[in-house]
Amino acid sequence: MTDNNTAPKIWVFIEQEEGQAHPVSWELLGAANLLAEDLENSVVEGVLLGDNVAHVAEEAYRYGAKKVYLIDDPVLKHYRNHPYGLGISKLVQKYSPEIFLIGATHLGRDLGSTIATRVGTGLTADCTQLAIDPKQKILAATRPTFSSNLMATILCKKMRPQMATVRPRVLTMPEPLADAAGELVREPLDVSEDEVPVKLNRFIPGEEQLNIEYADVIVAGGRGMGGPDGFKLLEELADALGGVVGASRPVVDAGWIPYGHQVGQTGKTVRPKLYIAAGISGAVQHHVGMSGSDFILAINTDPNAPIFQLADLGIVGDLYQVIPELTKQVKAAKGGEVRPEFSESTGGNGGDSPHTPRPPEMSDPAKGGE
Amino acid sequence: MSGKFTFDAIVVGAGPAGTSAAITMARQGLKVILVERGRFAGAKNFFGGVLYTHALSDVLPDYWDRKPPFERPVTEQGYWMLSPDSVMRMMHKSEHYKQEPAEAYTALRATFDAWYAKQAVDVGALVITKTAVLDCIKDDKGRVIGVSTDRPDGDIYAPVVIIAEGVNNLLTQKLGLIETDLPPRFVALSVKQYIGLPAKEVEARFGLSGKKEGVAIDIFGDATMGLPGTAFIYTDKAGISIGVGLLLEEFVSHNLKPYQVLERFKNHPVVKPYLADGEPLEYGAHLIPEMGYDRMPQLFADGVMLAGDSAGMVDALHREGTNLAMTAGRMAAETALEAHRVGDFSAGFLRQYRKELEQSFVLKDLKQYRRMTDFLDSTPHFMGTYVNFLNDAALRYFTAHGMPKRDMEKEIVGLLRGRRSFFGIAQDMLKLLRGMRG
Amino acid sequence: MHSVVAIKQVPDTANVRINPETGTLIRDGVPAIINPYDVHALEMAVRLKERFGGKVTVITMGPPNAAEALVECVEQGADRGILISDRKFAAADTLATSYVLAHAIENIQAEEPVDLCLFGLQAIDGDTAQVGPGVATRLGLPLITYAVKVESFDPEARQAVVHRTTERGIEVLQTTLPALLTVEKEIAEVERAPLANIINAAGYIPEVWSASEPVPFEPGKIGIKGSPTIVGKAYTPPPKEPGEQVNLAEKPAADAAAYALQKIGAAGVIDFLEIAPATNGDSS
Repeated sequence: MTDNNTAPKIWVFIEQEEGQAHPVSWELLGAANLLAEDLENSVVEGVLLGDNVAHVAEEAYRYGAKKVYLIDDPVLKHYRNHPYGLGISKLVQKYSPEIFLIGATHLGRDLGSTIATRVGTGLTADCTQLAIDPKQKILAATRPTFSSNLMATILCKKMRPQMATVRPRVLTMPEPLADAAGELVREPLDVSEDEVPVKLNRFIPGEEQLNIEYADVIVAGGRGMGGPDGFKLLEELADALGGVVGASRPVVDAGWIPYGHQVGQTGKTVRPKLYIAAGISGAVQHHVGMSGSDFILAINTDPNAPIFQLADLGIVGDLYQVIPELTKQVKAAKGGEVRPEFSESTGGNGGDSPHTPRPPEMSDPAKGGE
Repeated sequence: MSGKFTFDAIVVGAGPAGTSAAITMARQGLKVILVERGRFAGAKNFFGGVLYTHALSDVLPDYWDRKPPFERPVTEQGYWMLSPDSVMRMMHKSEHYKQEPAEAYTALRATFDAWYAKQAVDVGALVITKTAVLDCIKDDKGRVIGVSTDRPDGDIYAPVVIIAEGVNNLLTQKLGLIETDLPPRFVALSVKQYIGLPAKEVEARFGLSGKKEGVAIDIFGDATMGLPGTAFIYTDKAGISIGVGLLLEEFVSHNLKPYQVLERFKNHPVVKPYLADGEPLEYGAHLIPEMGYDRMPQLFADGVMLAGDSAGMVDALHREGTNLAMTAGRMAAETALEAHRVGDFSAGFLRQYRKELEQSFVLKDLKQYRRMTDFLDSTPHFMGTYVNFLNDAALRYFTAHGMPKRDMEKEIVGLLRGRRSFFGIAQDMLKLLRGMRG
Repeated sequence: MHSVVAIKQVPDTANVRINPETGTLIRDGVPAIINPYDVHALEMAVRLKERFGGKVTVITMGPPNAAEALVECVEQGADRGILISDRKFAAADTLATSYVLAHAIENIQAEEPVDLCLFGLQAIDGDTAQVGPGVATRLGLPLITYAVKVESFDPEARQAVVHRTTERGIEVLQTTLPALLTVEKEIAEVERAPLANIINAAGYIPEVWSASEPVPFEPGKIGIKGSPTIVGKAYTPPPKEPGEQVNLAEKPAADAAAYALQKIGAAGVIDFLEIAPATNGDSS
């Protein structure tokens, strides 16, 4: 039975694991509701699959879904491409959503193209911006390409749904509503366990699950570290900031730190909010791996190191002096302590937080209206 | 013998010497493998530079039909003698240079060497790249019977190996054909930039009427701050090759950075306008052997011969190197062919390679100019002194209007005497003569 | 056993230049490399061949000079290289690309059954990671993305155990064969190829398939016609202004660090740095 409701539906896939929703799903619901403002008559709905996960739908209503389509089945207990792909594709074919958003997690990137290919539609991956094109009233999905050297806005003019994936923490987390209600629509799976070619044998939890690609904070070291020992200092700072340690290729090649930490063309591409590059010269191959970072702090003894071209702030000097200081001060800030050596002066300066203390000797870095 | 790679001849290095050897042998039906360590032939090579077609024609008589990727024919050439603010130019242009194919062409090594290696493939040689030869394989009598490469299961066998490995002659050293690595006195470091400029612009600046004309200029004096060395400017199709080279020892003893020496030269008031608005597209450096005839390695041993830069076959004075390399590569190949015919790969037989070289311009020229490096060494400011004098004298001469000419002549003599005593000048001239006559 | 590896030639993104006026990529003189992930995928296939015998076929959809990439694959250990090249394939998005590759694999499969398809996780120019899954879906093959290790492989029993990395750890998955894996670089470390491979590859000329010969592709499914998505607009993000520099020669490390944290806080990238410690002794 096909759905006859003609209001354009903006769907969001609600990713869950063991009954816990992945926050990217809420970020997407937030974005979907913003899109809905520009797409007349549209309605935001969620798609949820799993085993005994109806409670997740309740949360989805609070984050802005008006309706949740639920396929609840033991076969769906753990994510696998086959049953999820088939199940969702059938839903899509039945309800014909206008737009379908999926989080670009490992799961989402495994699933998205499967659905798009089954249905025969376009999918734009890893978008950084979603909007409704005012003239054509279609989804305008913007994404970086060539390692952030070029931004492209992609349109899917004819095929439906217009699909897009977005990485976690790119969109803003919306405020959940205290109460919200929505409609739950249950759909059957119609895929038996025997039909699924892939079985989950076991799960090895990550001891030191790096996931440098999803890290918000990366403290990376390069040849300037001088040896493997210094990385412990970087780890301390990373821990204090809630991040992970990264590395440039030469130090991985030299065996100072394992390959999983490598950032760059032959390592991982990262987009953290904060990237601290210590003792890294900033060769282009490294640069392409981290140029999408929101804020880059570089520390290097060579004032002409290319990394300073990229950095929002550069410190020319010995990282072995700066890093411990940073760690100390970060820990102090976390602890809510007042840093004793600095005065409480609150000299105003543009966009600074008004209470940020400043050391007495430092003049206001007033740069005239920055 | 199963599973072993066996050929009639192995050539190490796909530069001008090696590829010439491979082509010569393959054309005569030998099973040849040419082993190059770079990603492609030419990837690891670099020169000014000018190629001489006589040597290419000796290897590949039909080279012209194979469309060699030359830049411009050299239809005007000569010297600029640079003082800090002036230049004395001696350039020669002639209708005779316009024949086609021309005597000499400017070229870019990455493009040319790659084309040249393709010709080797075309005539039946096996060319492999991204593979370095680490050592020669010897039999129990110490005769070379093959090479070992840096690839797994990478040994290759052949009764004769021609080493054309270039200036970093590690194999040559390993074989004991030369005692030590080149000391800084006997090797030059040359740095060069390829500056992109539209063809019409190149032609306008150098007075060329079209793409069938080109200029090759060798430059002395202030370009190398008066130190022994040369600089050059060669016109390419859509660009200019500009570079400067000094003996490595000079860089070291005067604490000079190669890039800085080049930049200084590019900024010379006479040079700068030629490069205006050009786009530096490529920058590189290369070592050039300047060991001289007396310090050349042994050119042959049982089962092996040496050709090109690895044997020091460079005549910097005449701007020749690639043609010596091509000629030597060819001669080594011809000797190898003979050796196959009689089945004798011993040093005793391969000696005839050296004999061939001795009868040709290759060793004759190297021998004649054997004292050049010593000369430059012992008269380090030769260039500076005379070049600056020439320029100052010319300035004096051309601005002497309204002045009694005898006074002007006296001043000019004074300019020279101020720099060098008569005795010093005489000494310099004698040394120069000795350097030139061998 | 027979594995098929799909590769893509990509611009070396370290050397990419964008035309500031048109916003398009300047492709002249930009060296092309094999997508690094694909190189590791191929290496995995070569390892399996070394263990189980059989052959490795490499396919690529690309312009004529992608042929050189296929020769490099033969150097690495592949046996057969197929270049699928035609103007009609140009400007394909991932849907059209997965159609072309899947259709090619179907035909290769018809000649010789395929046990495993290996794709790199993503191409460094597009970074979408969509083509592998798209091909798997079209061919009805079990799909495992983010593969980092092949724990076991049994071509006889038609079973394999593959490690798949997720944000929280490793899923150890059992799959039937044939299957399609998209791989991370860790799947196989690239070893230096033996001399025999280089010698074999020296004369190798890859096969070239057009949109109609030897295998016909449906015109409506290839190139622009087969691509539901198009680029509406492309632009270079404005180049970042180089930031300030603080020199430890002028400022002590403590101050420099404090300044840095202040700037970081101001940028809003670290929550707890935005909230200042209390002033005048009050707790925050």
